[in-house]
Amino acid sequence: MENCLHVEDSVAMGTKLGKFVKKPDLKQIFMFSAITWNRHAIHYSRERAISEGLPDVVVQRALIGNFLAQFLDQWIKDVGDVQRLEWKVVRSAIPGDTLTCTGVVKKEIIENNNKLIECDIEMVNQRAETIAKGVGTVRFYTR
Amino acid sequence: MENEISREALKLIGVEKQRKYVVTKKDIRRFAQAIGDPNPLYYDEVYAKTTRFESIVAPPLFCHSVAFEDVSPEQLPPDGSPVEADVPIPAKRMVGGGSVFENYIRFKPGDTIVVKAKIKDLYTKQGKSGLLYFIVHETCFYNQNNELAAKETATFIKRI
Repeated sequence: MENCLHVEDSVAMGTKLGKFVKKPDLKQIFMFSAITWNRHAIHYSRERAISEGLPDVVVQRALIGNFLAQFLDQWIKDVGDVQRLEWKVVRSAIPGDTLTCTGVVKKEIIENNNKLIECDIEMVNQRAETIAKGVGTVRFYTR
Repeated sequence: MENEISREALKLIGVEKQRKYVVTKKDIRRFAQAIGDPNPLYYDEVYAKTTRFESIVAPPLFCHSVAFEDVSPEQLPPDGSPVEADVPIPAKRMVGGGSVFENYIRFKPGDTIVVKAKIKDLYTKQGKSGLLYFIVHETCFYNQNNELAAKETATFIKRI
């Protein structure tokens, strides 16, 4: 992860958050279904997924959200927290995909003595097709 | 566009379900492994004590681990999809559409999570390949002090 942030940093609108890459495989999709007790067949049965018009078993909406949260979390490190994450899955992600998260700072808000930074975020696959996009808000703790 | 949801389905909007769990170190460690996050904050007590949390804490979206009701397999729809999206509509094929997750308090081992969940909205939209049904599901996660720790509004999409 590039461009880790420090609490004293001033974050200008348009600042890029760097890149964060995840490569989900069948094992990870299975593990996430298990830990979330998600028994939906499209996450473990290729046959079922394809019969429903999907390209393969698909990465869960929630796992995609966790990748995006991890992206923001690694950017702010120990100086803040992910306060809000909004994401929309626009295309299926499948095992073997290389998913790259990027983001750009949209605005800075001061609220209750905390600095909030709102970022536009996006996840694309290895063909640069958008998998998910949304808005993440991180809250910085004041010293 | 006219809403094509049956009255029977619309009656399910706002019906709240509640359940409770206790968070363990194992739950947090396994969740971190499942999302592929190697941050020692999620498993190394010595390291975690040096952070502002002063303890192991759960990842930001950890509440996903308790977002689906753990009903028996027989109670699930035939495709195994979550009961949260099991409403009487003609569409059966489901995918996750999107989500808004608000995170206020990180859970720690020993905390209690009280889950309060309900369908917030049901509506239809015309998609490229036919009518799409949207199920908007709201889940609030409270701690043992009745503080709202996290909230998720998830949208599931179903096609015929």
